Amino acid sequence: MVIVKRKELSLAERLYLPEVFRALSITFRAIFKKKVTRQYPEERLVTTAVTRGQPRLVLLDDNQHLACVSCGLCEIACPAYAITIDGAETERCIEREPKRFEIDMLRCILCGFCEEACPKDAIFMSDELELADFSRAALIYDIEKLKRPRAALQPRIDYFYGANDRWRKRSSTS
Amino acid sequence: MTKIILNGREVEADPKQPLIAACHEHASAVPMYCYHPGLSPVGSCRICQVEVKQGETPARVVVACRTPVVEGMVVNTEAPKAHEARRQCLEFLLKNHPLDCPICDKAGECDLQDYSFAEGQGEGRSVEPRRKLEKRKSLGDVIVLDQERCILCSRCVRFFEEVTKKPQLTVAGLGSRSVISTFADRPLEGNYQGNVADICPVGALTLQSFRFQARVWNLTKAPSTCGECSRGCSITVEVLRRQEVKRLRPRPNPAVNQFWMCDHGRFSFERFNAPGRLAGALLRGRTGLEAIDPADALDEIADLVRMHGAPLVVASPWLTQEEGERLRVLGGANHFLSPAPNTLKDDLLHTGDPCPNRRGLGALGFAPLAPAEALERLRAAPLALLVGERAVELLGAAALATLPSTLRLVVLDTHPLDAPAACIEIGVPDASERTGTWLNLDGHAGTLGIARSAPAGVAPLTRTLDELVRRTRGALAR
Repeated sequence: MVIVKRKELSLAERLYLPEVFRALSITFRAIFKKKVTRQYPEERLVTTAVTRGQPRLVLLDDNQHLACVSCGLCEIACPAYAITIDGAETERCIEREPKRFEIDMLRCILCGFCEEACPKDAIFMSDELELADFSRAALIYDIEKLKRPRAALQPRIDYFYGANDRWRKRSSTS
Repeated sequence: MTKIILNGREVEADPKQPLIAACHEHASAVPMYCYHPGLSPVGSCRICQVEVKQGETPARVVVACRTPVVEGMVVNTEAPKAHEARRQCLEFLLKNHPLDCPICDKAGECDLQDYSFAEGQGEGRSVEPRRKLEKRKSLGDVIVLDQERCILCSRCVRFFEEVTKKPQLTVAGLGSRSVISTFADRPLEGNYQGNVADICPVGALTLQSFRFQARVWNLTKAPSTCGECSRGCSITVEVLRRQEVKRLRPRPNPAVNQFWMCDHGRFSFERFNAPGRLAGALLRGRTGLEAIDPADALDEIADLVRMHGAPLVVASPWLTQEEGERLRVLGGANHFLSPAPNTLKDDLLHTGDPCPNRRGLGALGFAPLAPAEALERLRAAPLALLVGERAVELLGAAALATLPSTLRLVVLDTHPLDAPAACIEIGVPDASERTGTWLNLDGHAGTLGIARSAPAGVAPLTRTLDELVRRTRGALAR
């Protein structure tokens, strides 16, 4: 048990009113200061390539098939167990594609491990951050909700490779 | 036994086995692709090179799988020269190997991947393009061949030559155009094709039915016993996300199945995934079968036993010894279903007898009963217990539906039975969900392993039977 010692109040504090006016003066001074709140959703956060938003799946240049081959590395890298993948055989040259690719956005912690684990450049962190719906089931995103054309993710892809190159240079010299 | 010095330690080695067997026995991880303990050594992959010094000659690097064990030889598996030889060998094996591990089903249990990860170099030095060969060549209904991934270890060729004694595969072509092929492109046949997918050290031979079904690191594995014939091969049951049985693979057991299992057993796992399991218990009421608490269902069975006397017990041949011991005190006459032998009998593993625990149940006093005869007995009995997984399947749900409703039929099966005679049903776990012992035809005990949990509300059959025995003790006092 901890005994918390109360602060001894001075005469001015015990008189009550001076303290009320001191508090009000702080409030009034804040009116003339620069605002720190943002008027969401009219004013949005500026996102850059560095922003790690929700993961999204990259479509191939034909804008039809996913780059994902359902290798399962993001699934196993995911520390929040948010990803579930089931593979299936394709008729294309790439023999395998995901039949089911689900990310539970309520579990996703936006860590970006999936992006780093992916050997096929098929999953990248987008700048999409908003997440709201009326049911939990609707927030388990499937392929239809996750797929994006490559162009939409291009800034992040470029940043990702630039950052990796910098890291490689540093690690090879050290 | 011969004494050799392995990595500075004196160990005993079997002179009938090649040196690599001694290395593995004494926990020295020498890699291997072409060597398989169940096949003859050929030394085609050269990855198992170790340094050996014998007598006065200087130390040499040799392949451990083709070197006999000689008294007093000094073996160093970790010598720099041996490591260098293995590294160079690995580089050549990877020269034409496609780097499609993300797509390959073998990834995660691939010997080539494991050893490349442990000792290989990060980047290839080769500038020439890789070989282009057929990526998905179907070799019959069971096996798909990826010729690009193949490292030509010839394990599959030797398997058909030495184990099934019916050669079906060969290395065709010369030099870099060598590929594994069947004779005259005929499809593979026989009941043992699936084994080549297991022994393939890379992802060249894969099972058609397992292709792209699961990543192997997502599979939970449990040692168990195959229940498709009275051989009782030791197997591993592999379950995806703790729900769906995806694969059965043989587990080495020199007393029973060595390293192999038949395709009939291997692909029998699909019955574990049949939907519509009976969870909990059902009791026939006015409107039909209604769900009740299993404990109440047991009380009802005890009442029936008190009313009609000891029941006719018809057990499934998949009943374990533990379950049989509890069940035999219940019945007036104990039987197990013994369907006719099937035509799959061969001189390798399959016995043709579909009852995995025939010997054990016989020892417990259960008499074999053909399904047709069992139906006749059921027709005449006032009260019968049908116990164990697939008992309904063996008798046929349609045939059971024709039984008169004068018979009080108690069913303890994995799936519900819709028949007028069935008055009480209790769900039981299947062979992937319970533990127990089967005695195979030689009396060798095979243990069932729990690979996944039973559906909610399903208790182990041993516990259900214990409860039933406790409740009927007074009624059956002899």
